[in-house]
Amino acid sequence: MSQVRVPADSGYVATPEELAYEARAAENALFTASRLMIGCFAFAFAALAFAYFYLRSANSYDLWRPHSVTAPVGTGTAVMAFTAAATVLLLFGLRQLRRKDVLAFDVAGWVAVLSGLLALGLQCWELTDLPFAPATGGYTSVFIGWAVMNIIMLVSGIYWAETLLARRARLRKAITEEGGAVRGVPSGIFRLNVDSCVYFWGFIAFVAVFFWIFFYIAG
Amino acid sequence: MSEHAGTSGRPGAGASTSSVAAGTARPLQDIWRIVGIWVALSIVGDLVFWFVAGPHVPPGDMTSSASGAQFDFNVLFMVALPVILAVWTYMGYAVIMWRASRPGAPEPIGGPRARSNLKVQLWWIVVTTVVVLSMFVFGTVELIVPAGAGGAEGPNPIWTPASKNVLPIQVIAQQWQFTYRYPTFGGMETSTLIVPDNTTIAFHVTSLDVIHSFWAYQLGVKIDANPGIDDVGYTTTNQLGKFTVRCNELCGIWHGAMYDYGKVVSKAQFQKWGTSTARATAANTKYLPPFAWTYSPTANGATGVTAANTSGQAPFSKIQTYGATTKAKKVVKNVQTSTTTITTGST
Amino acid sequence: MTLDVAPPSQMGSTGDTLPPGGVVHRRPWWMGQHMGTGLLLGIGGYALGHYLGNTIAGGYTHVGTAGENDVAIVLALLLGVVGWLAGVGALNYPLAKLAGREPVAQPDTQHWTRFFRFSVEHKTVGMQYLIAVLVFLFTGGLLAMSIRTELLSPTSHIIGPGTYISIVGEHGTVMMMMASSLVVGPLGNWLIPIMIGSRRMAFPRVEAFSFWLFSAGYFVILTALPLGGFPTGWTGYAPLQTQATVGMDSYLVGFSVIGLGMILAGFNLLVTIINYRAPGMTWSRIPVFAWSILATSALLALATPTLAVACMFGILDRTVGTAFYVNAHGGSSYLWENLFWFFGHPEVYIMALPGFGIVGEMLPVFTRKPLFAYRVAAAGMIGVALLSFFVWQHHLFQSGINPDMRPLFMLTTELISIPTGFIFLVGLGTLYKAKIRFEVPMLFALAMYFNFLIGGVTGVFVSDVPVDVTVHGSFFVLAHFHYTIMGGLVFAFFGGVYYWMPKLTGKMMNKTLGKVHFWMMFVFFNLTFFPMFLIGLLGQPRRVFEYAQGLQTLNDFSSVSAFCLGASFLVFVVNFVWSIFIAPQEAPLNPWGSLGLEWQTATPVPQHNFERIPVVLTDPYHYSEPGASPVADLAPTSFAEFAAVGAGGGGPIARGEP
Repeated sequence: MSQVRVPADSGYVATPEELAYEARAAENALFTASRLMIGCFAFAFAALAFAYFYLRSANSYDLWRPHSVTAPVGTGTAVMAFTAAATVLLLFGLRQLRRKDVLAFDVAGWVAVLSGLLALGLQCWELTDLPFAPATGGYTSVFIGWAVMNIIMLVSGIYWAETLLARRARLRKAITEEGGAVRGVPSGIFRLNVDSCVYFWGFIAFVAVFFWIFFYIAG
Repeated sequence: MSEHAGTSGRPGAGASTSSVAAGTARPLQDIWRIVGIWVALSIVGDLVFWFVAGPHVPPGDMTSSASGAQFDFNVLFMVALPVILAVWTYMGYAVIMWRASRPGAPEPIGGPRARSNLKVQLWWIVVTTVVVLSMFVFGTVELIVPAGAGGAEGPNPIWTPASKNVLPIQVIAQQWQFTYRYPTFGGMETSTLIVPDNTTIAFHVTSLDVIHSFWAYQLGVKIDANPGIDDVGYTTTNQLGKFTVRCNELCGIWHGAMYDYGKVVSKAQFQKWGTSTARATAANTKYLPPFAWTYSPTANGATGVTAANTSGQAPFSKIQTYGATTKAKKVVKNVQTSTTTITTGST
Repeated sequence: MTLDVAPPSQMGSTGDTLPPGGVVHRRPWWMGQHMGTGLLLGIGGYALGHYLGNTIAGGYTHVGTAGENDVAIVLALLLGVVGWLAGVGALNYPLAKLAGREPVAQPDTQHWTRFFRFSVEHKTVGMQYLIAVLVFLFTGGLLAMSIRTELLSPTSHIIGPGTYISIVGEHGTVMMMMASSLVVGPLGNWLIPIMIGSRRMAFPRVEAFSFWLFSAGYFVILTALPLGGFPTGWTGYAPLQTQATVGMDSYLVGFSVIGLGMILAGFNLLVTIINYRAPGMTWSRIPVFAWSILATSALLALATPTLAVACMFGILDRTVGTAFYVNAHGGSSYLWENLFWFFGHPEVYIMALPGFGIVGEMLPVFTRKPLFAYRVAAAGMIGVALLSFFVWQHHLFQSGINPDMRPLFMLTTELISIPTGFIFLVGLGTLYKAKIRFEVPMLFALAMYFNFLIGGVTGVFVSDVPVDVTVHGSFFVLAHFHYTIMGGLVFAFFGGVYYWMPKLTGKMMNKTLGKVHFWMMFVFFNLTFFPMFLIGLLGQPRRVFEYAQGLQTLNDFSSVSAFCLGASFLVFVVNFVWSIFIAPQEAPLNPWGSLGLEWQTATPVPQHNFERIPVVLTDPYHYSEPGASPVADLAPTSFAEFAAVGAGGGGPIARGEP
């Protein structure tokens, strides 16, 4: 990395009042941002849902779903289940974090990341092993679009959760190594970050269940 | 400092604390001048437009939809011109009379009086809303009453012409030409569009490859040609003459060269032309895919499998016979194995 | 929880404190990561992606694309973008974060080379954006010149239909990408934190990332030309899109990349305006420019994902052979039209709203009057932004989809002229009995009203379905949207550049050259585009290289005016180079006598904008009001000063949730 480390206090000193003000602004920003991020993803998935329902109702040349092709239900259900499990685990972790049970948070978090990775891996694997050609019809096209978007969303969610857990792990190490003098993140913002991440995972789980129903169950 | 901050900065809240009107004894003198200039300009402008330019506004009056479009354009212009003139007059007056370098220009007034004026704001909103809503009502009436006003109405038109004797003509767009198919003459194909006078025509526009748009300029007809879609639009001819057909939706490199010319001829001439052309092209017509509302290259051309008129109804007589029910829906089963995306088909 | 320890000074992104005694080693300017390494890695990524694509899908042929390998091109472009981002250093922190690392501070340099590096300082990013949008604008402008050259003659050709159609598409796409970031990118990023009294952006790294995506998009979209161009114009209609050769991949990848950049830019600005307002900067005090950027950012953040998804579907159609847009395989060509315009119409207002904000900011300064009906202005912008999500099908009036819905979309489209009219009420009200000073920015502001009026009123013609039958897809529409985007936004943007340049660079732009620029641009803009209304009414569709012989006079008139319009930008470039580099003239601290918060700071603006976070006391429009309070207390002893009037920045957390 080429960036150069410099002392950060370049030219201004913040008063305690300003620090508090900016800390609160940062918390608010995190809150707004996580909700807005869900909004961005929601519009993206709304486009997917529109494609699904539009092609289904248009059914051009009777090719929405010829021969009633279906993606592998078992794999799809597993992807959905692992996604939901990751969300539940993160939710549990957040609850434990609020109760200051940091160890439980760590364990639940890492298991959730693992679960998410399993969902991601299965979703990728499913793509390599589809029982239909992409151009078979509308359903198959939208299914592949969904798989790609699900991969993108899972990667975002896993990345967010993983970075939080990694930061947690590093901070604990730093605490022991540097005798507590750790620069960085106040607890409030960290907890809020976890909270937002879990909120986002709730959205992921909702989307996963929604499209699971329409691709595998009620298609 | 802070007590001031509490009361100011709230536009709209300061009407009761208005300061004394500065300057002239007649505070609205400027406004009346502007209104005077505006009314004069608007009346002159509108009259000149309506009587001098109006009758020549494209697309002319060759068909019902063309003269409808001309009338609508003129009416909209009659409304738009005063709106434009109002803003221009006001701005022109402001630029001349209220410029800082004008000798004797009064100092502007600040404070709540200049920040908002509830009455002005309300009037502005009411007037713009009324204008906009009347435009909407006018536009909707002008769309529905003349059966879609020559625009695209999709495969199942809901606003149809009163006439029961509608001549269907199919327009098949492909890169980069239009082909016209006359179901009333045994499904013959021509490369020029000939239509009879004093007739209500239903254009059935479809495409073989990409999206095109059928724009018969002087006829006031514009209908997008979508692959696999039978897009219908209506017009009624009422004048003899020539017209231009252009592709109006970008369809590839020769889009600009995708045009031809058509003719409105008398009914008798049309009948004569149709019969003789049908006879002359009968040998070709035999090899064409059966007449259908849409064609897919795979289904109708390349593989020889047809998506023909499976309902068994003759597609060429009165409008009712080809309404919503006879869409070419049942198509081939053998396309899903194909990995091709698009190929240019032939009719 | 024992995580909170050291004082959270500058926590977050611009730079964390380091352990005392941390080593600072500066490198010479040519080392480290910058645009050069970005280009290198970008080219490397392109080559790698191309190789991978050919390996993966070597035997993969497409009838429609004559055997050209779309997989290779798409992968090449995507990896090229990743390489560019990695090369400039945009990925360093996101990757280090996986190991739980905190951000590393940027070199605190004012050296000019900072403009070529990944900088998280919002003023630097703003300047980077400024140069980038000008490069976009002039690229698109040159392409426009070649279009007008080809249209000099109805039948004889200078560049030929293939090149012509590529250039038309390239012009449209480059200009749309440019226009959606034209104001938000440079002026939004540079000015918004200062205008709302913040020392920083909410997410400076996201902001910087958006810029480097934006610049990557420029290269991606330019690769379309060597790859053979794309025949679809900027609207990219499928199935022409599916059928097109590999140049189309540049369009799809380029639009996705820029789209992602637009989402991130809007995201960051929206969060910043909501949360980083200084104490006392209540919603009724933020400048109208901030309102316009707020509305624009919401559109950027929410409408653009639809475009990204639509582009992804297109890429899938072209590479893995799905059939989203292919009717004969169970897809629908209407799907692209719907998704594209669901983004495309908010996009149109992304390209109008910031212009309203800029003129709203300048009018009070040059009339010495308060902004008339501030709330109406804000309501107008928010109203336009909301309504813009409900009008997209007016682009499909002649497509045959949902014909029975046309009256509804005619209604929503025409309703949008009500909140747009608010902007005119504000302008006209502010001009009433004013003291107008015809400085260069004011000329641009008045011209914006002049042009946008024509653009807006002709919009009503286009929205009226019966009239639209004739004008749809013709030069009439082309003239209409050039009047709104160029006549509105671009004029406002140049006004903004003249207006804020003294703040941005500390130098005054030359006034005489500025007036020459303005009058040339204003006169020739109108002479170029007004005839196009007639050309369209007389039957010339858009994007054609051949037209009726009878229209040559009008077209030639338009072309010659267009060349002069192009020349006016040269005047601007000369003015820019002359006033900033060759004969710089130091600007006074507040040359226009503005009350805006941004003009109360020092020039050049210090690294962290404000020595103390200011306490805002009133909105910045108290002109001609003797005894009005200053706009803000720049050295507050305590934030309690604003307590009486309520805190700005009070988001949900401040109210005690969650």
